[in-house]
This record gives sequence, C-alpha cells and structure tokens, in this order.
Amino acid sequence: MRVGVLCSRVRVEEKLIFDALRDRGVDAERIDDDTITLGLVEGINGYDVVLVRCLSHARALYASKLLDVSGLPTVNSCDVIATSGDKLLTSLALAKHGVPTPRTRVAFSTRSALEAIEQMGYPVVLKPLNGSWGRLLAKINDRDAAETILEHKHTLGGYLHSIFYIQEYVEKPGRDIRSFVVGGQVIAAIYRHAPHWITNTARGGEATACPITPEIEQISRAAAKAVGGGAVAVDILEALDGRLLVAEVNHTPEFRNSIEPTGVDIAGCIVDYALEVAAMEPGR
Amino acid sequence: MYRGLRFGGSGYGTGKVRLGVLCSRIRLEEKLIFRALEARGVGYDRLDEGHLALRLQAGGLAQEYDLVWCRAISHTRALYALTILEGWGLRMVNSSQVVHTCGDKVLTTLALLRHNVPTLRTVVAFSAEAALEVIEDVGYPVVLKPATGSWGRLLSKVNDRDTAEAVLGHKATLGGPLHSVFYIQEYVDKPGWDIRTLVVGDEVVYAMYRRSAHWITNTARGGEPLLCPLTPEIEELSLAAAQAVGGGILAVDLMETADGRLLVNEVNHTPEFHGAMQAVDVDIAGKMADYVLQMVVIMNCVHHNA
Repeated sequence: MRVGVLCSRVRVEEKLIFDALRDRGVDAERIDDDTITLGLVEGINGYDVVLVRCLSHARALYASKLLDVSGLPTVNSCDVIATSGDKLLTSLALAKHGVPTPRTRVAFSTRSALEAIEQMGYPVVLKPLNGSWGRLLAKINDRDAAETILEHKHTLGGYLHSIFYIQEYVEKPGRDIRSFVVGGQVIAAIYRHAPHWITNTARGGEATACPITPEIEQISRAAAKAVGGGAVAVDILEALDGRLLVAEVNHTPEFRNSIEPTGVDIAGCIVDYALEVAAMEPGR
Repeated sequence: MYRGLRFGGSGYGTGKVRLGVLCSRIRLEEKLIFRALEARGVGYDRLDEGHLALRLQAGGLAQEYDLVWCRAISHTRALYALTILEGWGLRMVNSSQVVHTCGDKVLTTLALLRHNVPTLRTVVAFSAEAALEVIEDVGYPVVLKPATGSWGRLLSKVNDRDTAEAVLGHKATLGGPLHSVFYIQEYVDKPGWDIRTLVVGDEVVYAMYRRSAHWITNTARGGEPLLCPLTPEIEELSLAAAQAVGGGILAVDLMETADGRLLVNEVNHTPEFHGAMQAVDVDIAGKMADYVLQMVVIMNCVHHNA
C-alpha cells in the first residue's frame, strides 16, 4: 500500500497525516503541488490513493480531476472538491438533498444584486463563491454598504466576483458548529466561539467540544452525503429559534484546533478512510 | 515627423496660433471646444492619446504647437503624456503638475491644507488594520475614497464596523497596491446638494448646485445641476482651491456643512461640463478657449522678451 499526499505546505494537519500513515506502517510520499505536472491520460503511477491537501482550491480541483481520469482514487474525490469548493454548488447540492441551509439568492449584476438585497432585507451576507478562512465575507447592514461592496467586487474583482451570492444573515448565539464527517461517520464536532460574526478559528474563533447530538449527527451526515461523501467538515449554524442550518462544507479542512477539545484523532480517521478507499478501488 | 499622430483637426488656421488638443473619446465637451477654437480661427490638431507613441528623447512636436490642451480622459495616460510633452518644451494646459496634484486625492488635500483652504478632516492609512483602528477612533459614518478616480466611483460611505471591515478587506484583497492606500474622510451631511464651480485662470466662470437624494452627487451618477448664485465666499474659495493646486482650467467641488461652513472637497483637472450647460447660460468652451489662447500670448511674450 502506497499513499501520496498532494500538498502545498506541510502544515500541522499534513504532519499529523504523515504521522498517522507511518503509525499504520503505510508507505507515504509527499507530492508537492508546486512541482508536479500531470498529463491528460497518463496521470501518476505508484500510488493506491492520493490524499488531496492543496491550499488552493483550484489546484485541488484540477489535480483531483486529472488523477481521477487516470484511474487513481483521491480523498477527497474530484466531485466532492468541485461541489464543496464552490458555495453556490454546495447550496444547490444541500437544497437538492433537503438539507436545511440559509436562504440564498444569486445575482449577476450589481443592480440586480442590490434589488435582491433590498427585497431580502438587512442584514445579509455576501460571500465569494470560492474562498476559505472567512475571507471576503461581508455583512451588509444597510444600503450604503450594499452599494459600495457590490461596486468593489464588480470593479476590483475578477469575473467570479460578479456572481453575487447573497445569503440571509443568521443571528448566532456567539458560536457555530463545525463537525467532521469521514466516510459517512460523524467523528467529531466543535463549537467555534467568537464575539465576531465570522467564527473561523483562522480568524480567532475559539474551539470547544460539541456533543454530537442526534440532530447534529443527522444534519452533518446529510450535508456530507449531499456533496458526495468523503472526508469533509460541515459548518452548521444554530438559528435562534433552534433550527440547525448548514452554511458550508469544506473539502480540505484544517483540524489542528479540533483535536484537543474533542480528543479525536482526526488525522487517523482521515487516513483510515483513505486506506479503505484504496482497498475498495485498487489503484495502479 | 510623427506620422499617425493627427486625427482630424481644423485644417485651417495656418496663420499664427496652432494648438494640439490631446483627447481620448470625443465627448460633447471636446466637440464644443473644437467649435470654439474654429470660431476663433485657431488651427489645431486632435492628438488621440490612444494612438500616441512618444519618443522620450525627441521633441518633434515642440516646434509644431504653441501649446497642447489636455482633454484626455484617463488620468494616468494624461499625466504621462503631459510630462513627456513638457519635457520636449511644450506648454500644457493644465500643466502636468496640476494634473499630478488633482488626480490624486491625497496630494489635493495636502495642497489645499498647505494653502489654508478649508477642507474635510482626512486620515491616510497604509494597512487595513491601521485603517480600521483609525475609523473606529474617528467614529461613524466616514467616507473611504480611492486616491485616484472620478465620477464618484468606488466611494464608500461606511456606517458601521461590519462595513468598514468588509470594504477594507475587499480593497486590500482585490485592489492593486494603490487601493491599500486608505484615504479616510469625515462624512459631511450635505443638505441634499453640493456645489461645483468652474475656475478658468483667475475667473470663476460659473457655480452650480448638484442636487441628489444620494450622498454621491456627481452628475455622472444622477446629480441634478441647478444654477447656484456665485457668492463672494464661493468665488474666493474656488479661486483659492484652484490656486492651491497650481491654477488653470479646474472644477472645484465644495460642500456646505450643517453649521454653514463651506469646505473644498476635490479639484478636477479635466472637467466635464455638459451637465452644467443645463443649468448655466455661459459659453463654457469659449471661456476655456479664450484662456488657452491668452496663455499662448503670454508665453510668446515671455519667449520674445527672453
């Protein structure tokens, strides 16, 4: 059994993944996404599965697609990466599978976006379709803010920034929930506490253990299934009326801050799942 | 010779004065300017900045024109073209120095302050973190403006911290390096209008209100032009503002505070005036043309006396 780990930098997470592979006596190799080149049919040889841990969503997306074509299984699969790496496609997948999610509208011009926002009422949240770590999330509280943020996106951003993804703002109880779903099992969940409405731990949100209630388990599994399974993190909002809503699904989650509060060996779970995938789909 | 440089022109006026008019698109303003020059029997060539390729070493045009009048739309292109042409020894209206100052809000504000022209309280910061800190300190609302830009583009009225964070984040992440020079200004609660004046040399040619329900009053953004009586105070401030940035043909934006003070907001180096024509009964292009010709005369006198 030989496992490739496709990554950019070796962060804490990748280090833990390599440790888990070594503990299991698995031959592992780092594949650097800065130096690798891939052909359209030949792919790469010598691996049974590749763990995709690129920092860049675009690299993860195209690398996994190229490996898939060559018959090499990846974790996550290119379909999971394609869906969960795009907020609009994620919302569509969640809606299609009946997973509760915040009300969302999409507009293609600043004028129609402003109209949609005024109709939805303030506050709303604008999010870029791609992006992590809470970057470029905008809470829009009034028309002045809507006008200028839309104009900045349109004028300064690339064309994808003119696909305006507008979501209701869900008032949170000072925290949200992130659960880890690996191979259909909810292995861990944390609360992310933050005085700020952006709760990402990368932005200073503090992680504590969250009991995996039947509701959390059910919605997490449903969300992961909606985007195609794999090893993903699900971001869940607790609306003040008690409903749980899935905000997004992450295909290459960071988890360093979730290990200590939960006591779960997240890297080990991901590695075990990858080995299962390799066993199911023997590579070349 | 600079082949391909001329695109149209009067085709006459082979006599004394010959002008170059540096243009981009020919807007109504440029048409009126050409007409005014023709009416005065002045020969001119239209120099299309989109077709210019200027040799930095040689000054072929220096002998051909008494003066080049800049009506180019792009600030960046205008600035470089003017600087090069001035290097050849050509006289420009407006001068590259004026365009340099007016095209940059930081430099404009500094020039106004240096000349004691009342303007808005302004802070400049160089990182999103420093900008957020100062905005929280100054209090809301504030206005964020790009250092360069026209027609009210990318102006932000920031009413709360959520907006400040989002606007600063978008500028820093999506904008080029200039967008991380954060120009932060107090928000002046205008009485539904501001004032734009046109200064030509040492004369204020007109003043107009720009009335708008929106806080951005630019006529390009729907501000409605209305005649504004030219009070001594407006006149004095306009001339002072124009003087502060170096003088020439300039549009001055003024705003009135709730306690009745007048503040100079910006000075524009290549004013559009088709909006003003709806409100004021002055031959604006003619006034500008007369000033430019007067500059030629003055320059020639200086030249002959030297």
